[in-house]
Amino acid sequence: MKKKIITGGLAGAANGFFGAGGGLFLVPLFVRWLGLEQKRAFATSVAVILPLSAVSLVVYFLKGGISISSVWPTLLGGLVGGIVSGRVFGGVNVTTLRRIFGILIIYGGIRAVLLI
Amino acid sequence: MTIVFDFIIGLVTGILSGFGIGGGSLLILYLTLFSGVPQYTAAGINLLYFIFCAPAALISHFKNKLIDGKTALCCIAAGVPSSVLAAIAAAYLDVGVLRRIFGVFLLYIGIRELFFDIPSRRKAPGRRPDSDLVSSGAESGAIKNPEKKTDI
Repeated sequence: MKKKIITGGLAGAANGFFGAGGGLFLVPLFVRWLGLEQKRAFATSVAVILPLSAVSLVVYFLKGGISISSVWPTLLGGLVGGIVSGRVFGGVNVTTLRRIFGILIIYGGIRAVLLI
Repeated sequence: MTIVFDFIIGLVTGILSGFGIGGGSLLILYLTLFSGVPQYTAAGINLLYFIFCAPAALISHFKNKLIDGKTALCCIAAGVPSSVLAAIAAAYLDVGVLRRIFGVFLLYIGIRELFFDIPSRRKAPGRRPDSDLVSSGAESGAIKNPEKKTDI
């Protein structure tokens, strides 16, 4: 119970602060602390992040205002991506995806730290 | 053309987001690096984006019995207040500082995702958490052997 609360709290902090990345905290903690099987951990992280994103979004909306008009193609892509994602998940090799993701994210991280 | 490209970016990151592999972080990077959106706005867009993307994936995950409901509810209850506090805190930070902190976070996550495996499941006595998974054949061979190296 305590572990679940800490795990959820960390995910919320990342989700609210960065607007992303809650799942990246959740999955390893789910597996290591709470003993969830890998695929179950990934899927459950999505279930946790969705309501947290909704809550954070309200704050972001009040603080910054978000215009949908400029990002609708991306939103639409996300809608389709979500549908595809759920259907193909069973046969996906998560490890390979994590490696590719890692390379992209390190590149982006370097640019973000240097503000370039 | 930009519209098509934006759609494709949304599609690809959406697939990753549905898996829970950090599509959101990639989308924020795309928005800040290539579309010139400020960090806080990009984060807000990504949150909105997740509301579009996640439900469909989530329905599939539910149908495939991949959601641990009790764990999810507990984490949501704990995560809601911390989300609100963190989102307010981020709003008061300088955008450049916020982006730098995000960068450090990404470097940590990136190194972890690139070089480390997710640890294998600890034995939980009296539980058979994934018996339904194995019987439904939802797992691939690689997932059954988490220690097996599948480096690219």
